[in-house]
Amino acid sequence: MTLTQLLRTCSWQELRHHPWRHSAAVLAVTLGVALAFSVHLINASALSEFSQAARTIGGQSDLELRAPQGQFDENTFALVAQADAVATASPVLELATNAALGDKKGTLRVLGMDALRLVHTTPLLMPQPDAETVTQAGRFAVFAPATVFLNASARQQWPGATLQLQAGSRWVEVRVGGSIQAGGPPLAVMDLGAAQDLFERGGYLSRIDVRLQPGHNRSSATAQWQAKPEWPTSMGVSEPAEAASRVSQLSRAYRVNLTVLALVALFTGGFLVFSVLWLSVAKRAAQLALLGVLGLSGRQRLQWVLAESLILGALGSAAGIALGTGLAALGLRLLGGDLGGAYFPGTEPRLQWSGLAAAAYGGLGVLAAGIGGWWPARAAQQLPPAQTLKGLGLSSGGQRPLGWALGLLLVSGVLSLAPPIWGMSLGAYLAIALLLLGGIAALPGLIDLIYPWAKRLLGQRLLPLLAIERAGRVRESASVAVSGVVAALSLAVALTVMVSSFRLSVGQWLDTILPADIYLRSSTSTAAAETVFFDPERIVALSQLPGVARIERLRVTPLGLDPSLPSVSLIARDLSQVRLSLPLLDDPVAVPPGQVAIYVSEAMVELYGARVGERVGERFGRLSEALGAPSILAKTGRADAPVFFVAGVWRDYARQFGAIAIDQRDYQALTGDTRVNDVAVWLQSGQDAPALKLAMAQLFQARGDGPVPEMASSAEIRAVSLRIFDRSFAVTYWLQAVAIGIGLFGVAASFSAQVLARRKEFGLLAHLGLTRAQILAVVAGEGLAWTAVGALAGLLLGLGVSVVLVHVINPQSFRWTMELHIPLLRLLALALAVMAAGTVTAWLAGRAAASGDAVLAVKEDW
Amino acid sequence: MMLKPPRRFVLQSLAAPLLLGSRLFSQQAQAQAQAQAQALPAQTLRFPRDFGAHPDKRTEWWYITGHAQDPKGRQFGFQLTFFRSRVDVATTLKSRFAARQLIFAHAALTDLQGRKLWHDQGIARVGFGLAQADEQDTAVQLDRWRLQRSGPPQASTYQAQLAARDFSLQLVFNTTQPLLLQGQQGLSRKGPDSRQASYYYSQPQLAAKGQIGLAGQSFDVQGLAWLDHEWSEQLLDPQAQGWDWIGMNLTDGSALTAFVLRKADASALWAGGSFRAKGSSARIFGPTEVRMQPLRRWLSPTSGARYPVEWQIDTPAGRYTVRSLLDNQELDSRSSTGTIYWEGLSELLNAQGERVGLGYLEMTGYAVPLKMG
Repeated sequence: MTLTQLLRTCSWQELRHHPWRHSAAVLAVTLGVALAFSVHLINASALSEFSQAARTIGGQSDLELRAPQGQFDENTFALVAQADAVATASPVLELATNAALGDKKGTLRVLGMDALRLVHTTPLLMPQPDAETVTQAGRFAVFAPATVFLNASARQQWPGATLQLQAGSRWVEVRVGGSIQAGGPPLAVMDLGAAQDLFERGGYLSRIDVRLQPGHNRSSATAQWQAKPEWPTSMGVSEPAEAASRVSQLSRAYRVNLTVLALVALFTGGFLVFSVLWLSVAKRAAQLALLGVLGLSGRQRLQWVLAESLILGALGSAAGIALGTGLAALGLRLLGGDLGGAYFPGTEPRLQWSGLAAAAYGGLGVLAAGIGGWWPARAAQQLPPAQTLKGLGLSSGGQRPLGWALGLLLVSGVLSLAPPIWGMSLGAYLAIALLLLGGIAALPGLIDLIYPWAKRLLGQRLLPLLAIERAGRVRESASVAVSGVVAALSLAVALTVMVSSFRLSVGQWLDTILPADIYLRSSTSTAAAETVFFDPERIVALSQLPGVARIERLRVTPLGLDPSLPSVSLIARDLSQVRLSLPLLDDPVAVPPGQVAIYVSEAMVELYGARVGERVGERFGRLSEALGAPSILAKTGRADAPVFFVAGVWRDYARQFGAIAIDQRDYQALTGDTRVNDVAVWLQSGQDAPALKLAMAQLFQARGDGPVPEMASSAEIRAVSLRIFDRSFAVTYWLQAVAIGIGLFGVAASFSAQVLARRKEFGLLAHLGLTRAQILAVVAGEGLAWTAVGALAGLLLGLGVSVVLVHVINPQSFRWTMELHIPLLRLLALALAVMAAGTVTAWLAGRAAASGDAVLAVKEDW
Repeated sequence: MMLKPPRRFVLQSLAAPLLLGSRLFSQQAQAQAQAQAQALPAQTLRFPRDFGAHPDKRTEWWYITGHAQDPKGRQFGFQLTFFRSRVDVATTLKSRFAARQLIFAHAALTDLQGRKLWHDQGIARVGFGLAQADEQDTAVQLDRWRLQRSGPPQASTYQAQLAARDFSLQLVFNTTQPLLLQGQQGLSRKGPDSRQASYYYSQPQLAAKGQIGLAGQSFDVQGLAWLDHEWSEQLLDPQAQGWDWIGMNLTDGSALTAFVLRKADASALWAGGSFRAKGSSARIFGPTEVRMQPLRRWLSPTSGARYPVEWQIDTPAGRYTVRSLLDNQELDSRSSTGTIYWEGLSELLNAQGERVGLGYLEMTGYAVPLKMG
């Protein structure tokens, strides 16, 4: 018989007789592929959308010039444009501010640009006046004061002919003059001169887009600029394409992390294919032996079983790709492009489906099934036909010595200590895989360990003795049956521990960073920190409101320390009691005299090489320039650049790209900048937060110049933050449930097979006087014994995996640390649930197998 | 001569189509501007001051056209123009970037041997040493394009440097004749309404010399050119559909200019021009003294417009025929500035059909009705 004939006749019959068992295997592969593929699609779509947006803003320019402090002298523009290497230079004043139309308030990015220069660099930002604007303001409306041109999303959000924009603490009405083509989040373009006037930024630019003359490049242009004595040395020159690549780079670990988690589900699927086919081969041993005697060679038997596994894998993968596409579309709609990771701010990605990626992930599914089918196929190949026909059956499982399993576990432990490779925790991922493999290989050993102990404990009673004896004697096939459960449960345990550790750490972090009762924010966006701030008089009035104990002023400003990285947030606040104000990892280090203390977030350690107890390193060099150099903020006249000293590292879950905290007095002394973006308000004891919020709102409304700033009590912020946290992790709970469900499916499949194979044994027991109920109890007991071992192993392995996740992968991928927190009760409940489900499944399978006549029993497994 | 069609057109709508994406600029805005405008007073032009820019006026241009050839006889027509435009809406702004004044420049090169017209343009707001128009003398700059005058007012030398996308012009122009004040001592009427006028002088018979770069080659050329400098509140009659204009250097040293503003029905709305024989004073033509009749038309394959590339022109100084030296000298800038018109090197024939001069012919309003509003 050819392979096709074999598949068509024998395999088809097998499949028809056990549709559920095979469906479970297919479903497992489907889910694994679907999860991995949807995570890939969502990330690819978000990344593509982000680079699209970056290209729109960067346009066709070759270079982009920025300064670390965010803005620079406008005369730099002339220096840039006059260089021979430059074909066109387009000056930009880039800012974010609050925009409002009626109650609709939000953050709007505003680009002050020269419409005559941007045509060559960023044509999608070209203002297109409406006919009405032309009528009212004439043909030069694009140069008119207080006139903005909005992109589609901004127009959608504020569909009026006018708009309120916040400039400092004032609100100004601007005319909506028309539109711009650029897509993406709300964006407005206005004339550069008009923008400088409106936002009181006369004399300053924030960016220059440059197109080079043919034959010139970044270094030749930079050399020409630097040759001019007036050239500000702190200017950073970068290529616009870098924006997309740096986001890709910074989010890569995050994306890989998610993908690997999804692949663990596929790993479970592979186990299930293994367990289904193993049992199927065991059951069809006689058939295989007969075919062997009839001339089917061992090699052909191997190919046959392997083909079966590949077909299961292919079916599962095809369904998985379809399901994954659907999940991705849904995920993009519900969660956004970064699945809550905040790496791709403000993008609304469209699904980027790629046949190549689909083929790759589908291939992974087939591969997982193939690997799962390899051992059963080998068993079928090595089957001794004569012995098998005599009824001696298939020797159970490959004899994997315990030493081998321990070796895997040891290697896993070593790998977990490996540093990240290309920013990804490849070693740690491999460590997790080996941990699971080793742990499952060690299952028979674990049974050996438990068996004598259980026998001593329960050996006095007949039924438990029977169950334990049976479970212990066939420990190889028992391990096969529970391996799916072990894999699934360890995944569930690992995720549960990781999520609960993270949640606890976020909760503690929120407690530390939100010590006050009420917070007022001038804008929800850090990018708007230079544009929007509080009126000093209003803050004084605020602090004098009855019921207010004290207030603290916060200044948050973005710093571009490294042109190849996104901005860092500089937070100036009162740090006189730094231990209470910041969630420091360790006690702060004493600052040498004459140096300025800064406290950096964990991301700064990773991205900029900040070290506690050291002066800031080379990549921080621009910090001195940003704060110390004479700029719009800092006309202090200091000749010597300040020396900054890293006095501590704090945990920050909010700003992945880094944050620096500095004491407000130091900041103001260095820069002379006394503006305030956020205000924290402490109430006198017994005061009611809602009442005071109302009073504050009235204070702001009294002058009636625009909407009231954002106001929230710390309890509200805490609740909202944790709600967002729970929502973004909801998907992991689903993942756990699905994995455990699949594992139990596997247990059920093995049990029905075992019970069927043991009908003679049950008959004997019946003759010995056991009732049907008692026999079923023995079967259920076996199920309990097996899943108990599985649950124990799953718990231990899961804890191991979670340690790697929390202490290795998280710090390496997200650049933040957290405390390991083991939710004992939940894990216990999880294990008990798995044991209960396993027992019930075994009992049900036994009942189905032992009931009715033989013909029916053969047809129905469970 | 007076308002040259393309110049006026380009000028008036100059940045407008580029910026608005529409050539339409509203009737209301036009009406408003017209209501506010005062008739320009007659005044004596003073030099070198009036060689410089007049930023208080809405529009202004320095416009050079000419013919040149290299020692081997390769012939070129060239045109280089700097426009300045006042932006009223930006006058209240304090920022140094405020677009109170715009500089626009346009350059074209006709390669008679290659039978091809090349052109390029640029625009920028005045400021930061990148775009400027000096108020004391002719010195206009737009990025790396420059036009600068030197020497006493009676003996001017203009230097022009333009490195365009496909060609370059490095030319020096020397005056050979006195300034020619157009209209009434430099105040030139542009339409039936007395407010439709401009201050306007010409430098005909300029001796041109320099290099023309094209397709990697550099040509040492010599030739004759014509400069117009005109500034005004720039008000066009709303009935104007387009215009036809010539500026010709005659081989005997005379200078002829003539123009007709057309209404939608192709009838003349206004006309004018001047003739100055060498060494004489100029004869200024009245609005009814110039007639232009199309003789031969050329169909533009790109725009579908039918341009009269050969004209019979009747003036008080005689009847002439103007004939283009290359039919396809249409400037299609619809993709950038949105303008499309014909402007090119042409020859002037006398009644006997003999060539008596060379110069430029300009025709607008043929492709798309010019709505200047």
